[in-house]
Amino acid sequence: MTESSKDLSDRIWDIFSSMKLGLALLGIIAFTAAIGTVVPQIDQAPQKAEAVSQLWITMGFTHLYSAVWFRFLLGLLCINLIVCSTQRFRGIYKRTFKLTPPSNLARVPQKNRLVIQGELVALRESVQEVLIQEGFRFTLSDQPDHWSFIAIKRRLGNWGSLVTHLSFVVLVVGALLGSLLGFKGYFMEGAGTTLPIQAIEVSKGLISETFSVRINSAEDRLLPNGERDNWYTDMSILESGQEVARKTLSVNHPFKYKGITFYQANFADGALFTAEINGKSSPVVLRDHRQSFYQAPGTDLFLVTNLERNLAKTPSVVFQVYKGTGNEPIQTGQLKSGETVNVQGAYSLTFDGLAGFTGLQVKKDPGVVVIWLGCGLLLGGLLLAFYWQPLVISGILQSESGKQGNLTVGALSGKMTDSTHKALEQFVSSVTKMIR
Amino acid sequence: MLESLEIAMFYSLVIATTLCMLLYFVWLGSKNELIGRLATYLTIVALIANVFAIILRMITSGHAPLSNGYEFLLTFVGGIMAVYLFTEFRYKLRSLGAFVMPIPFLLLLFIIMSMGPDERIAQAIPPALKSQWLTFHVLTAMFAYGAFAVSFSLAIMYLLKFSKKEDEKKSEPKGIVSRFPSLERLDELAYKVVGFAFPLLSLCIITGAIWANYAWGTYWSWDPKETWSLITWIIYAGYLHARSMYGWKGKGAAWLAIFGFVAVIFTFFGVNYLLPGLHSYAQ
Repeated sequence: MTESSKDLSDRIWDIFSSMKLGLALLGIIAFTAAIGTVVPQIDQAPQKAEAVSQLWITMGFTHLYSAVWFRFLLGLLCINLIVCSTQRFRGIYKRTFKLTPPSNLARVPQKNRLVIQGELVALRESVQEVLIQEGFRFTLSDQPDHWSFIAIKRRLGNWGSLVTHLSFVVLVVGALLGSLLGFKGYFMEGAGTTLPIQAIEVSKGLISETFSVRINSAEDRLLPNGERDNWYTDMSILESGQEVARKTLSVNHPFKYKGITFYQANFADGALFTAEINGKSSPVVLRDHRQSFYQAPGTDLFLVTNLERNLAKTPSVVFQVYKGTGNEPIQTGQLKSGETVNVQGAYSLTFDGLAGFTGLQVKKDPGVVVIWLGCGLLLGGLLLAFYWQPLVISGILQSESGKQGNLTVGALSGKMTDSTHKALEQFVSSVTKMIR
Repeated sequence: MLESLEIAMFYSLVIATTLCMLLYFVWLGSKNELIGRLATYLTIVALIANVFAIILRMITSGHAPLSNGYEFLLTFVGGIMAVYLFTEFRYKLRSLGAFVMPIPFLLLLFIIMSMGPDERIAQAIPPALKSQWLTFHVLTAMFAYGAFAVSFSLAIMYLLKFSKKEDEKKSEPKGIVSRFPSLERLDELAYKVVGFAFPLLSLCIITGAIWANYAWGTYWSWDPKETWSLITWIIYAGYLHARSMYGWKGKGAAWLAIFGFVAVIFTFFGVNYLLPGLHSYAQ
C-alpha cells in the first residue's frame, strides 16, 4: 500500500515536473485566450455576448477569463512552475555556488574544448592571472597527478530562469488576492453631491469601509487650442461628517485613501438647480441628456433636463416635467442662469448654472503590490537570463614530460554555442599571450 | 513649415527604404561591395529620416508619437531599422538586409495605400493617453517588435538555406544562400535577437499594465490587444523553452520564430483593425 501510494505520488510529481506539460499548458492557455478575443465577452460587450449560442455561454466562453476551467488551467500551470522550480533549485544552487574543478579529462566540457601547451608553472600562474583580470570567481584543485580549475562569471545569471518562472506564481497570487479581498465599483455624481462609499455600484467584491465621498467640483478643462486637457475632480473624504482628506484627481492621477483608490474614468455635463419646497431649499444636480431625474419629495413629479448648446455666454437649460408613469411631459420650459420657474405649484426651481458630473472608478486591490512585485521579479529574472548569461570555464593541467604539460580547457556551451566558443578562444588567447 | 518638413522626411524615408531594399537584393546576387555599402548607407539615411519625421511629429503635436496608427507604424519601422542596423554592424551580416528591409517597405506601402492625409495628421490625444508610462510602453514595443521582425527574417534565411542544403544532399549549398552565414550561426543569431526582444516585450506589457492601472484602475482587463500581446509572449516563451530545453534548434525553432512574428503582426494590425477594445484609438 505504502509502495503503491509512493508510486502514485512519484508519478504525479513526475507529471507536474515535466516541462512538456508546462509548454502544453501554455499552448492551451494561448489558444483559449485567443478564442476569448473573438467570442464577445460579457464584461466588454454584454449585448453581443448574450446573443451568441447557448452552448458557448454554458461552456463559459462568453466570460472566458473568469471561467472556472480557464482558472483551473492557470492553476495547473502554477503547480507545474512550482514543481519544476523546486526540482531545479538544487541543480542551480550547485551550478552557482558549489562548482568543483574537473577531476579528470573527461569532466572538461567536450563540445567546446581547446588545448594549450606550455611550462606547467607558467600555465598555472597565467590561468589564475587571466581569471582575476577577467573577473571570474574560481576554485582550484591541486592533485599529485594534475592541477585543475573551474571558473564562473556572471553567476547570478543562473537564477534568471528560476526567478522568471516563480514570478508567474507571484502574479497569480497577486491576482487572487485582489479578486478575493478587493472590490471594484463605479459612480457618477454631480458637483456638490455627497455619498456614502457603501452606496456606490459594485461590480465585484464587497465594501466594508464606512466613510463618505463629497464631490466639491468636477471640471472638463480645455487647453487654449481647444484640445481637452483633462477631467478634474476635487473630492473630499468625510469621516463622521468631518473632512479628513481632500485632493484633485484627474485621468492618470488617481487618489488613494485607506487602500481604496479613486480613478477619474468619465465626465458628463450637468445643470445645478435649487428646488424650494415649503420654504426649504435644497440643491439639485441633473445630468445632461436626461441621464438623471429629480423627484420632488412628496410628489410624483419627475424633472429631467437638457443643456442648451449655443454660443451665448449665459448658459441655459431646457427642462421637462413628467407626472407618474406618463409618457408625455406635463410641463416644459427653458431657463437661463438665475431664472426661476414654478413647477406645477409644488415647488419652485431656480437654475444656478452648469455643473460637472464626474465618473469615478473605485477600487480596492490589496493584490496590486504583489502584482508589481511579480512584474519586478519577471523583469529581473528575464534580464538575468538573457542579459547576464553566466560563463563557466574549466580546465585540467596534466604533466607531459618533466616541466612541460597540456592544459585542456573547456566552456559549458549553454544556449549560445557560438559566443561561448568565442569566449573560450579569447580566454585561451589571453593565457597564451601571458605565458610567452 | 514643420509639417511640410515632416512630410518631406516621410517621403525621404519611403524612397531610401525602397532603394536600400532593392540594393540589398542586387548585392545578394552580384556580390558587388560598392552596392552593398550603398545599401547600408541608404538604410542609415532611411533611419535618420524616420527619426527626424518622428521628432518633427512630436514637436508639432506636442506629445509622443502614439495618437494614431500612422505614428505607431512610423515607430515600428524605426524599431526594425535600428535593430537591423545594429545586427548588421555587430555580426557583419549584410545579407540579412534583403530579408528585413521588405518588412518596413511593406509597412510604409500600407501607410501610403491605406491611410489618407486625414488619418496621418497629428491628433489630439485623450486624457488617458497623457502618461509617461505610455511613452515607455511604445518605446519598448518599438524595439521588441523591431527585433522580432529581424528574428523572423533570420528564420526565413535559415529555412531557405536548410531547404537548399536538403536539396543538394548535405553538400555546401550554392547560389545566393551561399552568402548566408552557417545554419548554426543563423539559428543562434535568431535566438540572440529573440533573447534581446523577449525582456523588452515583457517590459512593454508591464509598462502597459502600470499605465492602465493609473488610467483605468485595472492593470489587466483582457482587452484583445492585451490578450494578443500575451499570446505573442507565450509563443516566444515557447520558442525559448523548446530551443534550449528540447534541442528544438534549427528548423523547429525557425518555424516558431515565424509563427511568433505572425502573432506580432496580428497584435499590431489584426487587433487594431479587426477586434475592438481599449486600444481602438490606435487605428
